[in-house]
Amino acid sequence: MTATLDRHLGTQHRGAVDLQGVGKVFGRGADAVTALTDVDLRVQPGEFVVLLGASGCGKTTLLNLVAGLDRPTSGSVTVDSGRPAVMFQEPALLPWLDAGRNVELPLRLSGVGRAARRERAAQLLDLVRLSGQARKRPHELSGGMRQRVALARALAATTTNGSTSSPANGTSTDGGLLLMDEPFAALDAITRDFLQGELQRIWQATRAAVLFVTHDVREAVRLGQRVVLLSSRPGTVVREWDLGAAGVDREELTEEITGRLREVISTHART
Amino acid sequence: MPAPEVVSETERTDTAAVGAGLDALDSPTEARKPVLRRVLATGLPPLIALVLFLGAWQAVWASAMYPEYQLPAPLTVWQEFAGTVADGRIWQILWISLHRAVLGFLASVVIATPLGLLIAKVPVVRAAIGPLLAGMQSLPSVAWVPAAVLWFGLTDTTIYFVVLLGAIPSIANGLVAGIDQVPPILPRVGQVMGAGRIDSARLILLPAALPGYIAGCKQGWAFSWRSLMAAEIIATSPQLGIGLGAYLKEGSDFNSMPGVIAAILLILLVGVGIELLAFRPLERRVLRARGLAAAT
Repeated sequence: MTATLDRHLGTQHRGAVDLQGVGKVFGRGADAVTALTDVDLRVQPGEFVVLLGASGCGKTTLLNLVAGLDRPTSGSVTVDSGRPAVMFQEPALLPWLDAGRNVELPLRLSGVGRAARRERAAQLLDLVRLSGQARKRPHELSGGMRQRVALARALAATTTNGSTSSPANGTSTDGGLLLMDEPFAALDAITRDFLQGELQRIWQATRAAVLFVTHDVREAVRLGQRVVLLSSRPGTVVREWDLGAAGVDREELTEEITGRLREVISTHART
Repeated sequence: MPAPEVVSETERTDTAAVGAGLDALDSPTEARKPVLRRVLATGLPPLIALVLFLGAWQAVWASAMYPEYQLPAPLTVWQEFAGTVADGRIWQILWISLHRAVLGFLASVVIATPLGLLIAKVPVVRAAIGPLLAGMQSLPSVAWVPAAVLWFGLTDTTIYFVVLLGAIPSIANGLVAGIDQVPPILPRVGQVMGAGRIDSARLILLPAALPGYIAGCKQGWAFSWRSLMAAEIIATSPQLGIGLGAYLKEGSDFNSMPGVIAAILLILLVGVGIELLAFRPLERRVLRARGLAAAT
């Protein structure tokens, strides 16, 4: 079951993210390390795409390029959905601010007034089922709760095509983009399972496009509409699976993807 | 693209219940000891130590091992102390020393803060004066007193000069250490949220560096207090008035051991008092807000 990209490309919409021939080289001369080479990837508005790969496949580099934290050495990165929301493996909450103020921070940075900030933060905390916890400090929350605060904060940072998402449009961040770098990797299995479900719910509620990085095949198959497998050193797209198609057996697909991933990893032993 | 599976209402409430359960189970719990036990646990040990010390002092004095002019009785020292309180002299002495120390400390903060920021954020400045500033901490500021007397004479300038050179390195180094210890993920988070350089420094970097900065200020206070005492003991003149250091020197000049001991105890008392009343609560508040200090 190979990727059927033509269906996406045929639509009228422009992609939320469009990568064309993207390459990234760190360093110069003999010490240069090629992290990514010739990556073509397109994420449609509202689509959930999972990037899957072993260590060293440049997943994080790729996400940094999309987030605008870094520039590609070659090729082009087009993000057509305003500033994306970014989530890391660690919650990275500011420990001196309570949950509510952590969520408010991106709004404060973009000059939103106090009352509007409060309201928006309350809505977002509500969205991640943390209503009433706004006055708690990060150290008073569990790992899963912290990661949900981080998600709410990331969503607060999104802007849609240059404008800050207004507090009036409820919990929706229409057309936004959510970049997630192994956000559940550091959590225990039960919490991870719960948060995967929560992410699906929130994705449906916000209609945001999601680019989700993981090395966990099960997680990829559970969450993604499309799974993109990256090779390692240098990272490039090996294969894609479309899970949106009818009659996809997810169990079977997990096996298939795992097999392919093992193949990709094995090639590194030979070279 | 097929619609995602429809989640039934019961399943949804189940998920909510599971989430609430997880939150309740995983949230860290904090147990606070009762107030009385807390007060006893922190107040009693130093009190016992003090009583034992006074007892030992009294015993050694009573054994008459040392002549009276070398070791007075605790009560004699207390009478000396009470005497300065009774004639109101103590307030004048304390005022002279304390206002110098506080002014010197505040001036040090004003100078050391931008200096620390420069060293932390500008690599050239760090390479140029970073090691020097770290080394300055090991130079006793009393070493500056002779030079300062030659440059500025027996004036207030001499005293402030010594205090500043004592406190500035500690405060600046504290700020540099605080900034260096900020986890790199925090500025990155600021960046992806769209924070500019100034916003990032104001809302993320400086608050994150606050614990190190406060530790530096605390040390800076200790250094400015002891530098001041050194300066006051050496640079004495009628124009400078009598601060705690000069009071100590006076006791020594008049061969009055009770005066010397009373002065030393007062110096200790003020130093510890400011630390306990100002810096300790501030530091605890900042650390506790971040979950770094255990709730006692």
